[in-house]
Amino acid sequence: MTLPARRQPAQLVSFAATAEAHLDDVYGYLVYLTRDRSLAEDLAAETFEKALKLWRRFDPRRASARTWLCQIARTTALDWFRAEERRHRREHAVAVPDVSPGDMPQGLSPELEAALAGLSAAEREVIALRILLELDGDEAARVLGISATAVSTRLSRALKKLEERMTVHV
Amino acid sequence: MSEHLLDQIRQSKPVAPAELRERVRELGVARPAPEPFLARFLQRRFLVAVPLTLVVGLLAVGVLTDLPRSDGGDTSVAVGGSAGTDEAEKARESSAPSLPAAEPLQGNADSAIAPSPGRLQRVDAEMRLRVEGLEELSTATKRAMRIAQSLGGFVASVQYDAPAQGIGGANLVLRVPTPRIQTAIAQLSALGTILGQRIGIEDLQTSANDLTDQLVENQRRIAQLRRQLASATLADEERAVLQARLAEERRQLADLQTALRGTRAEGALATVQVSLTTEALAPAAKDEGRLDRLGEILAWEGTALLYVLAIAGPFVLLGLVVWLALRLRRRREETRLLEQA
Repeated sequence: MTLPARRQPAQLVSFAATAEAHLDDVYGYLVYLTRDRSLAEDLAAETFEKALKLWRRFDPRRASARTWLCQIARTTALDWFRAEERRHRREHAVAVPDVSPGDMPQGLSPELEAALAGLSAAEREVIALRILLELDGDEAARVLGISATAVSTRLSRALKKLEERMTVHV
Repeated sequence: MSEHLLDQIRQSKPVAPAELRERVRELGVARPAPEPFLARFLQRRFLVAVPLTLVVGLLAVGVLTDLPRSDGGDTSVAVGGSAGTDEAEKARESSAPSLPAAEPLQGNADSAIAPSPGRLQRVDAEMRLRVEGLEELSTATKRAMRIAQSLGGFVASVQYDAPAQGIGGANLVLRVPTPRIQTAIAQLSALGTILGQRIGIEDLQTSANDLTDQLVENQRRIAQLRRQLASATLADEERAVLQARLAEERRQLADLQTALRGTRAEGALATVQVSLTTEALAPAAKDEGRLDRLGEILAWEGTALLYVLAIAGPFVLLGLVVWLALRLRRRREETRLLEQA
């Protein structure tokens, strides 16, 4: 599929190109964060809708487009988590705890998939940002709203935990 | 952590499904909704901040430079009708005391307010001049008298005081024809350094017009009474009454004529009070321009800023604390959400 050939304003074309370039990154990050591919799909779409509305405010001097999009994706996911929590609270009396193993990316070994599923979202997201998307420490820190040192610490703990779980599974 | 595991994670990077890709592409060709005007405006804060700062600065300059100066000579002008007389008197009283520390004024005839040509006006002026020493005081006094006479006026009074030691002074009251008041002021200004001057103009034309109208009406009534008295058929009693009325009208006529002459005389000659002194000038205040008062303006702005800080400071601090607390709370909530997810 190609974009329509009609003339587009420079900023609009740029958004389309940016969205195209970073769609997989945003989607992958959200899959790791939510452990749910269909949910990640919805959240990714919502992320890009928000990004389009905020596109005029995007300043490439402050952060790369990928970092900016990941920030929006994270906010979108957190909003969804909050909404889910409220829903769970309302339905507390009758709710069945969500014990589904999740929906991790394909291509992972069963052991790694199980180990990743055992990590918290906070741990998974730091792995997604630093390993999967290969953001540097500062970029990841900007997305997570913490210091670069805190990112390193969190990543170290997450990988250690992942390794331990891998060892247990093996 | 083994490289193998990390590679496995990297290689298994999820790829967005075609459906999502299509949705995002559709978004890419859509025109984003324009931002609300206020949001766009506030986004460019400098567009608000810069003009606002300029306006405040200019206002400060304007306000401060228009404040009455506590030092320096005064040049006041009082113009008005009958109500203006009181104001002129007050102004005269306020300016009457001893000479203040003053800066020299470069007064001239052009800067003086001139009476309106063609209208009857009472004009009075006051001038305070400084001369160098007693010799010049004497010369200036004589010249002032000559100026009044040369312009067709006269000297109403002179008080000359030249002690062997101390400050000498002379007070003159000159009467000069009103149309030549500007010339008189110009020539008198040249006698010394002007310390202050005041010109008062009171319009008398309306009063003169009223008196003239009354005079015409009075004369009309007198003529009518004369015609009635000329009648041969007039009874003695009626004649006596008419004659009494005629006498009254003639008396009124005389009063009106006197009043009109007086009013015209008031307008014909202007009064100029000239005070000459040998008193040394106090150190003259430096003539400061608007930009020269920058320090004063900055001090004023600094004081205002201090007031604002003193009043708003606690609220700002409280706001900061609340903002930090909310931020911390949000962070904790996010961490908890992500830990639970």
